[in-house]
Amino acid sequence: MGGELNVFAILMVVIVTVFTVGLAILVRRFTRTTADFYLAGRKVGTLANASAISGDYLSAASFLGVAAAVYASGLDGVWYAAGFCGGFIVVVLFIASALRRFGEYTVADFAYGRFGSDRIRLLTVLMVLVTSLFYMAPQMYGAGTTWTVLVGAGIFGLSPYNTGVLVVVAIIMFYVAVGGMKATTLNQIFQFWWLFVAMFLVVMFAFFGSHRFNYPAALEEVTAETHLDVKTMTVAELTAEDPETGLAPIDELREQMSPRGLEDIEAAIEAGDPEASVPVTVPATNKLHELRDMFFNEPGHRYNAFDQFSMVMALVLGTAGLPHILNRYYTNPSGAAARRSTFWVLVFIGLFYIMAPIAGLAGRLIIDDAWRAGTAPANAAYVDGILVRSDAIMPTIAQIIGGEWLMGAVAAGAFAAMFSTTGGLLIASASAVGHDVYEKYVNPDAPELRRVIVGKIAVMFFSLLALAIGIGIPVIGLDQAYPALIAMMVTWAFAFGAGAFVPLLLTGIWWRQTTELGAISGMVVGGGGSLLFIFLNVLKQLGHLGDTGVLAFLGSLTFPTLFTFPAAILTVIIVSKLDGRLPKNVDEIWMRIHGTASERHERDLGLHKVGGMLSSTKDE
Amino acid sequence: MASNAGGNAANAKKASGVQMQHGDHIDTIESVDVVFREQRKLSFTFAAVFFIVTLSIPVMTIWWKAWYATPIWGGFTMNYLVVSLLYYFFLWMLSFTYIKKADKLDANLAHLADEIAAATARETDEVATITTSSALESEGGE
Repeated sequence: MGGELNVFAILMVVIVTVFTVGLAILVRRFTRTTADFYLAGRKVGTLANASAISGDYLSAASFLGVAAAVYASGLDGVWYAAGFCGGFIVVVLFIASALRRFGEYTVADFAYGRFGSDRIRLLTVLMVLVTSLFYMAPQMYGAGTTWTVLVGAGIFGLSPYNTGVLVVVAIIMFYVAVGGMKATTLNQIFQFWWLFVAMFLVVMFAFFGSHRFNYPAALEEVTAETHLDVKTMTVAELTAEDPETGLAPIDELREQMSPRGLEDIEAAIEAGDPEASVPVTVPATNKLHELRDMFFNEPGHRYNAFDQFSMVMALVLGTAGLPHILNRYYTNPSGAAARRSTFWVLVFIGLFYIMAPIAGLAGRLIIDDAWRAGTAPANAAYVDGILVRSDAIMPTIAQIIGGEWLMGAVAAGAFAAMFSTTGGLLIASASAVGHDVYEKYVNPDAPELRRVIVGKIAVMFFSLLALAIGIGIPVIGLDQAYPALIAMMVTWAFAFGAGAFVPLLLTGIWWRQTTELGAISGMVVGGGGSLLFIFLNVLKQLGHLGDTGVLAFLGSLTFPTLFTFPAAILTVIIVSKLDGRLPKNVDEIWMRIHGTASERHERDLGLHKVGGMLSSTKDE
Repeated sequence: MASNAGGNAANAKKASGVQMQHGDHIDTIESVDVVFREQRKLSFTFAAVFFIVTLSIPVMTIWWKAWYATPIWGGFTMNYLVVSLLYYFFLWMLSFTYIKKADKLDANLAHLADEIAAATARETDEVATITTSSALESEGGE
């Protein structure tokens, strides 16, 4: 990596950042109450909220990770896009309008209001924080990766990766703490459209630029040969001869790879350090149809039969378990508006997710061509024409097909995606601690100003936690363990949310007999089970569980949702039946969730109409 | 829905005294249960369609070779075409239809709830009238 400085591209990122921060300062004087800070005064209109939800939702995982997953894994990667979008169907069918009708601020408030106990609220807060941290980790990794490709240099003696994480955290911490949900909402709207246009431009440049990308023909071209993986091997492994054949892995590589692709590998062998590691390309194996070779347009690169189902379930159920997305539903003026917002979200992000796999496929050909022509960007690492880190695909392909200004637009889009999602996560985390814990238990009589200050301190605390996680990812080797780490880590958040929250919400909204003990048991089984499976999978990928035994088998299950979701639902039902202690005011609760008198009254008063977000909420 | 509304409204107030009032509008537990059942029917019907279609894709991905291994347009297999493109049209149509039906249901159910409120108000007036008449008769008797 040559440390190439892309001045024009950096300038575009700076413009987006200045706009983001400026907006936060502008909105600051309209953020006076906790309703303003956490919910933008509940006055966000349908299309504005749809754009904001889309901005909140389209994180680094969508902007960088989906294209990267397709680039690395072909069809199995395309499922990320389809599943991320499909998740909103579950939200609109089961969650959106009921959650808005119930009112309140947060998911923890819902749990408390529905079941009436402090312990379920505190458990929900804990689960919200775990989900948010799962979701923040890939944003931080995306920040470091994009900075590396964009700038290629660090500050204060830090590596480029760590610098990227630090800069993004500092900016987000500032604008969320200053502007709260109103600034976050306005920024999410702006950021969504920026990254939508950036993705659109990449696809248009691929189709109509000098490469004349043709979707079906390109798919046919990459499928003509067996799919290749990038793998890191030590010199000792490369040169270890098989006693039966007398051949070493390097002998096979000399037949498969191009002479230029072999240069770095031969140089490492020549140097003679057996522990030195180098990236190599190896034919991918098919995990689904084991007797077939692995091709780009076929399933099985990442997922076996179990994971094919479990991945779909994790993706389509997980969206309804993301607290920062659910929080946005409280900002709708009515339940019907919440439904309409969701429809427009599906349209916006659906168009985006149709484009992202095109970028991933185009990258497979265009980056390879550029590398062979010697024109590939110097800041990314390659092995025989394939990116070593697939998560760098978006800025890399943008620079190849559109030059520095398109790379700037993409890099700014990537930072916009991280800003918007991490901003939403920080608000969700801050509201969990500031609103659900501080305002309810620590100091219920705190004046409004102090409540807002506590929210801002919580934002700063979680920002620093995000910083530590971002820097820690390469330290433990996680970036080497998965081919498309950003999308993978986000899916863990989905899997955890699907296990911890979705059973709680579905049964809490749609089954009147749900008891507090049943809901808690379901959360523990769903959330705890998800954590256990994810932990085992990480250990397995890092090589700590071996290849045989029960733990190795459980660790090989990439997504736990096919186990954890039904187990959590069953637990809620069985424990609730055995428990039988419904809240004393269950009728009143039921009317809050499914009743419509409040909305009809608001309609009479005109309160359902969208007000201006740039007006301060007077009384809540 | 609307045809049953009067009957439901009349029975609702008699069956339970649990109600919630916002301005001129009232929810009773019985009217809310009607709303809940209708919404549940609508949501779970659409959810069944969604999950059958969505989960049929991995089913075919595992067991139907022509689905995942036979190119039908350039490098597109049916599997790739559906997951990368056609699935979104399904999602858009499903959500659009659901939202239209849910809005219509909301309007019908709001109408039902208003009828319940009107019936409740009439019952209250009747009780008040009877009470007043009884009181006047009592005063006259003395």
